[in-house]
Amino acid sequence: MGSDLDRQIEQLRHCEILKESEVRELCHKAREILVEESNVQRVDAPVTICGDIHGQFYDLMELFKVGGPCPDTNYLLMGDFVDRGFYSVETFLLLLALKVRYPDRITLIRGNHESRQITQVYGFYDECLRKYGSVNVWRYCCEVFDYLSLSAIIDDRIFCVHGGLSPTINTLDQIRTIDRKLEVPHDGAMCDLLWSDPDDVQGWAVSPRGAGFLFGADIVEAFVHTNHIELIARAHQLVMDGYKLMFKNQVVTVWSAPNYCYRCGNVAAILELDEHLNRNYRIFDAAPQGSRGLPTKKPAPDYFL
Amino acid sequence: MADVVMSGVPGAGAAPSESDALFPIAILIDELKHDDVALRLNAIRRLSTIALALGPARTRSELIPFLDESIDDEDEILLALAEELGNFVDYVGGPAYGHLLLQPLETLAAVEEPVVRDGAVASAAKIAAQLSQHHLEEFYIPMLKRLSAGDWFTSRTSACGLYAPAYAACTSQTQSELRRLFAALARDETPMVRRAAATHLAHLVPHLGASPEALRSDAVPLLTLLSQDDQDSVRLLTVEALVALARTLNSAADVKLYLLAPLRNLCADKSWRVRYMVADKFVALAQAVGEDIVRDDLIAVFVNLLKDSEAEVRTAAAGQVPGFGALIKRQGAAAVEGTAEPNPGETAILHDILPCVKDLVTDGSQHVRSALATHVSGLAPLMGRDATTEHLLPLFLQLLKDEASEVRLNIISQLDKVNAVIGIQLLSQSLLPAIVELSEDKQWRVRFAIIQNIPLLASQLGVEFFDEKLGGLCMSWLGDCVFSIREAATANLRRLTEVFGVDWATATIIPKILAMGQHTNYLYRMTTLAATATLAHAVTARVLAEYILPTILRLAHDPIPNIRFNVAKSCEHILPALAARQPETGPDAKYTAEVATMVKEQVLPALRKLAEDEDRDVRFYATRALQAA
Repeated sequence: MGSDLDRQIEQLRHCEILKESEVRELCHKAREILVEESNVQRVDAPVTICGDIHGQFYDLMELFKVGGPCPDTNYLLMGDFVDRGFYSVETFLLLLALKVRYPDRITLIRGNHESRQITQVYGFYDECLRKYGSVNVWRYCCEVFDYLSLSAIIDDRIFCVHGGLSPTINTLDQIRTIDRKLEVPHDGAMCDLLWSDPDDVQGWAVSPRGAGFLFGADIVEAFVHTNHIELIARAHQLVMDGYKLMFKNQVVTVWSAPNYCYRCGNVAAILELDEHLNRNYRIFDAAPQGSRGLPTKKPAPDYFL
Repeated sequence: MADVVMSGVPGAGAAPSESDALFPIAILIDELKHDDVALRLNAIRRLSTIALALGPARTRSELIPFLDESIDDEDEILLALAEELGNFVDYVGGPAYGHLLLQPLETLAAVEEPVVRDGAVASAAKIAAQLSQHHLEEFYIPMLKRLSAGDWFTSRTSACGLYAPAYAACTSQTQSELRRLFAALARDETPMVRRAAATHLAHLVPHLGASPEALRSDAVPLLTLLSQDDQDSVRLLTVEALVALARTLNSAADVKLYLLAPLRNLCADKSWRVRYMVADKFVALAQAVGEDIVRDDLIAVFVNLLKDSEAEVRTAAAGQVPGFGALIKRQGAAAVEGTAEPNPGETAILHDILPCVKDLVTDGSQHVRSALATHVSGLAPLMGRDATTEHLLPLFLQLLKDEASEVRLNIISQLDKVNAVIGIQLLSQSLLPAIVELSEDKQWRVRFAIIQNIPLLASQLGVEFFDEKLGGLCMSWLGDCVFSIREAATANLRRLTEVFGVDWATATIIPKILAMGQHTNYLYRMTTLAATATLAHAVTARVLAEYILPTILRLAHDPIPNIRFNVAKSCEHILPALAARQPETGPDAKYTAEVATMVKEQVLPALRKLAEDEDRDVRFYATRALQAA
């Protein structure tokens, strides 16, 4: 637990990037920790569950202001740390540094954006290239993505996953047998866990996303019963009120990127579970303008004015 | 010649030890032409190191020509190069050789990327300041002329920025030629060049000050021309030039004669962007044009801007209210000095500006109200106690109830200014209901701002009134659902203890804090811990022995590791502070010893146990606390 790491965390909290060599070392240490984690990582309550962040660094700082700092508060983040926002690099590296410094206090699981293919389209790749002048940092991060756990189970009662369920998965043990250390495949159980959505359908239906499935209340009912759990917490879909309960309160979507893409006008939420699994949803707004740095952006050429 | 630099270690053939020392330089030089942008950028940033190693002669003969040839790179690299060259005079051998740097800068000043051009112009200006008059006329002025006559608008745009830095140092003959050339740029066919001319007219004008004739015959016509340009983006830039010209003319009669017409045009411009610029710079403008124009024209103009149809303009004008108010009050006071006449400035504030401000309180745009909320309290010191109470206080109350949280937040954070004028007693009586209401605002930042004002209110209200009206609130914030509020509430308790004393804290807040230590949610037990740890620095040994330490000891056995390692973190801060305490005298003297015994016999053993905890974070912080103790 070197003071070097504490310094890096401090630096990242000020939204300053690390040196490329530091990133390499950090990613290496993170892989060593993550490789030990199960596909269904066991987490003890109390813990605060968070949804998509999407590189909105200053809103993540707002999240910590509302929920309390790590490590004092335990956190479980359900993926989609990167892409779309201006600060995917800083956001992911901060979360990763916290993971390395306090492995028992913060749990990170994989979202569909933690993938080589998706990050090349939605911004993380370009951001790494812009901020470091090379794609090495993106490569190191992608290697870490492959090691992130696929889901988590809190006190054997609350199942957390980025997207949802899969038609090939009935029990948590089936998830445990997946070999996860690879790029997110285009289909199959691992893909479904990261891509599926709950919807008002009977059984399973084709997802308009082109990956994963839509699953209905009956599927959730069966999964909850088979695995003796009380709740499925997931992220993956924007909900304007920050969280949304479905299917007799057996599924909750938690969304933690306020004013998503800096334009959607939604509020964000986190789900605080105390040590007795009592649930409290905390709603928060985007960080005020004054507390955000401005993204460095080339001015438009003046013949456009 | 550039090849010489690029073909290996500089100073090759020197003794091995010397070339070892130069090896990093050779790497930097190689990096100047590396494929990787980041490495090239790094090398450019270290250009001075390379130049220092090469020495002035080789920098002049090899490095500068090489750089001159390599100006076909990424904009990022070019910008870095443009910036570096501005500080390069010493590396080429001092001011006598400074002109050599102008050649690469001239090329950079003509590229397409505006950021690079601006960097090149700024660096050329730095170099101009160091050149001898001879070199200025021989090298700098020809460059300026070439750029001014460039085919492509980019060079002519850059040229506009090169006049002001050199003008004062030129002969009068050159000066008149420069004025002629600049006038041509102000009449350029492309708006980009005219915009640059309008911007830099403001910088050039102060240098013309030595010759009032040049101001009247050259600068005034250009200002008049540009302020009537077809493009509003050109017109809006003349506001600054007008301010500069009015300052430099320094004669009320001249300002009235030459500038009143363009001023009136700008103030009533049909484009809101121009009016916005006027509103945004209003105080500076009013100061520069002198009191006659302010009295006869600008008060009416300001009223119009506050009532403008465009919200952006009203927002900018709202920000100028206190500044402009202060200005007309000062000018009014000077005008009636020694007479019994009322200050016309104060009258104008009350009768002209205040009615507009009242309208803005209910403005349809949140941004306008938000700007007003930030600035309106600045009127309080100008209006004095009675007028503030009568006219401003109702506006504050209304803004405190605004539907937009940003407005409420802005007005709360300015309350201290009002407090200074009307006194906290009056303020708290009239605002207390609003404050109590806002303390439960659903925006946590509003609650946060209220907490910040609580110690100030507390010190003025007195214990009884405080306990009755605000005590409950202060405790309820400790249980707030937002961490930052709980944290601020904790700090607030310490400041309250400093205001009301330890006995008050012991009787009022400590029991409630301790009760929260039984909360079923670890986040709230954490608050108890934070509050006790904060108070530990402010309370007596008796309170420590009877309340604080027992609570901390109990929480050391908490089932949740987060609580246990926060016990350790607290101890890390408390124990050294306890050791440094002055022993108490009087009836409570025995408690000093009791605290010491408790630390030795209970706290330290508890920490040692935590240092062997099953949780690694608990072990880490406990070990650190033991080291601190």
